[in-house]
Amino acid sequence: MKRNVAIVGGGQTYHRARRHDVDQAEMVNEAVRAALKDAGMTMDEMDMVVLGNMEFFEGTHMTDCWLVHATGAYGRQGLKITTGGTVGATVVCAGAHLVASGLCDRVLCIGFEKQEEGDTGAILSGVANPLWGRSMAGAAVGYFAMMGSSYMAAWGAKEEHSAMVAVKARQNARKNKYAHLKLDITVEDVLNSRMLAWPIRMLDMCPASNGACAVILADDKTAKDRCRKPVWIRAMETAHNEQFELDWRDVKTKRPIFSKVCAGRIYGKLGVSDPKTYFDVFEIYEPATWAELVWYEDLGLCGPGEGFRLIEEGKTNIDGPIPVNPSGGVLSTNCIGASAMLRVWEAALQIRGDAGGHQVPKEVRRALTTAYGGTNWTVMIALSGALDD
Amino acid sequence: MTARETEWISIPMTVDVPYRFAAGRYLTKTLTQLRDNGRIFAVECPRCRRIQLPPRIVCAQCHVRNGRWVELPLEGTLVAFTIMFLPLTDPTTGKPHEPPFVYGSVRLDGCDSVLDHLIHAEPDRGKVWVGMRCRVVLRPPGERVGDLSDIVHFEPLPDQSRPGS
Repeated sequence: MKRNVAIVGGGQTYHRARRHDVDQAEMVNEAVRAALKDAGMTMDEMDMVVLGNMEFFEGTHMTDCWLVHATGAYGRQGLKITTGGTVGATVVCAGAHLVASGLCDRVLCIGFEKQEEGDTGAILSGVANPLWGRSMAGAAVGYFAMMGSSYMAAWGAKEEHSAMVAVKARQNARKNKYAHLKLDITVEDVLNSRMLAWPIRMLDMCPASNGACAVILADDKTAKDRCRKPVWIRAMETAHNEQFELDWRDVKTKRPIFSKVCAGRIYGKLGVSDPKTYFDVFEIYEPATWAELVWYEDLGLCGPGEGFRLIEEGKTNIDGPIPVNPSGGVLSTNCIGASAMLRVWEAALQIRGDAGGHQVPKEVRRALTTAYGGTNWTVMIALSGALDD
Repeated sequence: MTARETEWISIPMTVDVPYRFAAGRYLTKTLTQLRDNGRIFAVECPRCRRIQLPPRIVCAQCHVRNGRWVELPLEGTLVAFTIMFLPLTDPTTGKPHEPPFVYGSVRLDGCDSVLDHLIHAEPDRGKVWVGMRCRVVLRPPGERVGDLSDIVHFEPLPDQSRPGS
């Protein structure tokens, strides 16, 4: 990067299934105010506002215009970004480009979703090609179910393994005051929950949450002058799949799937040979339990077909050697437009030591975050507490 | 004083959004062949030789124009599936698929991509498996309309059993 970029503040709403008490603007404003307060800055100090959400989930296009009072973007530079589930991370990515290039010194990044206000299943079907397969594209659950059936057939994992992921997520969420699904559940509870689409049960899936997240990015000088604990963006990468050809419906695919390609590139930039020891914590995008097991493998935390062993051995627990999603992750909170930004913000909180109840019990210097966009592309962001790292 | 519950107003609204999509040069050929002759055609990349279905103008990997048309057999292998217990709405009709039902991804023999569709099998984990051989069942000639609904479903080929059963 031409200039260093730091996260100098951030904030989030409490995430809930129902927020009848606020409209979209009021909800977004909660996160904006929290981020400004955390950074000790005012709206007038922001050079630019970048906003993102899932297009049409809330029934409005141009949310950047409708929310301009709540985001603070009135009368200043602004951008709207819409890249599906990745959007929260893409907003951070765009903000980092603005700071790294020297176009801006301080950028306010916002992601939000008020899922209860629209028919998210209907809008999500628009992700599929209208003439090829949309008839079957009524919900993300079927896609993740096929991932699960392929994963079990390929590697011999059992439904108990995905249930362990569900338990880890919700037990971690209980430690996170902002999380949506704080459930004191066991593997048996997951296996006894309602079958949605075999092998996916109710507790294998993320909730539909309402919530928002905001982070403030700044240049070197601002970060050093104004921020006690800046968290530095050390590398960013994105990668796309080719639609129709390649995804986790065949987990044994030898072709260059986006997640592995992206991880390979970001590790190459940073000189990472062993990601599970290089990074101290991971915040990954896992809308379903099986997705987390596949991420372990695609990120190189273990070999192919070994992901379910990691969860079985407790390696990715909050107090394990490779903590994954101590926040409770997307499985516990999915306000989609904010979800990928929450991965970045939660990772930053871990590096700052400010995660509170879900702070991992070891020194956190570096973190890696991932995102999904329609499960066919990803944004990865690597963070560090030190610039010379 | 007793606390009074606050009333929050929310307003319901239904939006009907019609679209009309052009299938384009490549997909039109495949859909007319499917409708008129009950045959499935894909395209092959001249460089990497991948057989791509649905057909499209450019090979995403090689950045070259796809040219040669290849007819695919109507048989293939199930690579992933689910047994759906939700009344999934068909976004193309607005009507639900009646649960439980099986759907999955089938790789037609010789093709590099998979095709998602209903699998005409009992919604029973013993009766459907990854690796199961299937064939395409088409609407009768004359009833086909030129979209993917001309494929009714995949049906399992006879005389096979689940490995390990």
